[in-house]
Amino acid sequence: MRAFLINNNEVFDFKKLLTDVVNTNVFYPQYRCNDLYRYFLNFIVALISNNPITLIDYDLTDSEMIRLNLKDINVLHPIEKITLNSIDQMLQKIEISSSNIILYTSGTTGQPKSIIHSVKTLTRALKKANNHSNDIWGLAYNPTHIAGIQVFLQALFNQNTIVNLFDKSREEIFDAIQKHSITHLSATPTFYRLLLPYVKPYENIRNVSLGGEKSNQKLYDQLYRIFPKAKLNNIYASTEAGTLFVSHGESFQIPSQFERFIVEKEGELFIHQSLVGSLETKLEEFYATGDMIEWIDKEQFIFRFTSRKNEMLNVGGYKINPSEVENVLLQISEIKQVLVYCRPNSILGNILCADVLLFNPTKISELEIRRFCIEHLQEFKVPRKIKLVNEISLTRTGKLRRQ
Amino acid sequence: MEDKVLGIINFIRISKDLEPLTSLCYSDNLRSHIGFTSFDLAELTVRIEDEFDVDVFENGLVETVGEVFEKLSK
Repeated sequence: MRAFLINNNEVFDFKKLLTDVVNTNVFYPQYRCNDLYRYFLNFIVALISNNPITLIDYDLTDSEMIRLNLKDINVLHPIEKITLNSIDQMLQKIEISSSNIILYTSGTTGQPKSIIHSVKTLTRALKKANNHSNDIWGLAYNPTHIAGIQVFLQALFNQNTIVNLFDKSREEIFDAIQKHSITHLSATPTFYRLLLPYVKPYENIRNVSLGGEKSNQKLYDQLYRIFPKAKLNNIYASTEAGTLFVSHGESFQIPSQFERFIVEKEGELFIHQSLVGSLETKLEEFYATGDMIEWIDKEQFIFRFTSRKNEMLNVGGYKINPSEVENVLLQISEIKQVLVYCRPNSILGNILCADVLLFNPTKISELEIRRFCIEHLQEFKVPRKIKLVNEISLTRTGKLRRQ
Repeated sequence: MEDKVLGIINFIRISKDLEPLTSLCYSDNLRSHIGFTSFDLAELTVRIEDEFDVDVFENGLVETVGEVFEKLSK
């Protein structure tokens, strides 16, 4: 029987998955767990039983969960026993599932917001065909985030094996690519940067997708050396809308079926509400992505991304709202004023930093501030360099702050 | 120079509740021996850059303490 998941060299095949699904009569609507097989199993059971499921990062801190109003973490919910005879039948049930799939994203106001997806919105860009039946996927994204969920569903619907590469070292990743004959990789430019420099080619990789942050020609050139048989794709996706475009370079083309649903207004990309998951607040007809674009060929609907309209920061493919981090820092009574911003970094693309103005400079150290952040924020939101300053005069974009 | 790098590595380790190291070996792997994640490695580059004005990761991954020292002694 084909493997469903390979995680830390432990193999879980589709037969075990099917047996575990039919033998359960409970699931967790809000499950915080770092056992990848159990997480996927719980997700599948929720979908088949048409129950809503909230996907929660394993490393969320207690105070973040309180802010998200997540009260029923890891509380079991009974379900009726599921009857299934085959994997095909299981996939058919998932395909028609009416479950609400709830994800969280950093809101533009500093408060994280929930987005409700369905199997339908998450599988829009999915490719299901016989020529995908032998794909083997390296999962390099956080499995609770939209890109990770899309890799999971793409692999599941084609009954492909998923090999977990998330948070693994370079050596473990290359070992797994070779040992398990991985053919498809989808990851952030940061993930690929950590695979450099070139040592030897891996010819089994046929498809390399990049998404979540900006990449460049230098990285593509290096990836072509490491994966000489691979096709390189850039993916534009968001937590709100899932995957929208795929490109083979810097430029993206709006697919003809979306021409009326994806439009540009004053340089910003807007997406029609029919392509977006449900948000807490009622949507206008078009959703503003905050991504600024410029046309390369307007008649052919070809464009490239230039910048972000709002102040969301991107660190290694993780979107961070600086206000959320600033609000946590301002809970420290010694801190008078704070500015969270990014500095360019050769590993993560950007690294999160904070300038902090104290009421009394001798009262608290960088280490103590850092520890407070670690306690209250997920790892990627913790500023990695905290500078104690005498005055804060710059804004995040480096401009002088208006008085 | 080696003492300063040790100081930087220990600052990152202490903030993660890891014991500070008393010395560094050239063969120490930054991930498996020192216990750094990609976020820690990024912080290491920034702190080294601020101290020595050298981006040790500019041309691809540096895996060991020895490779960091090598880049800094050039």
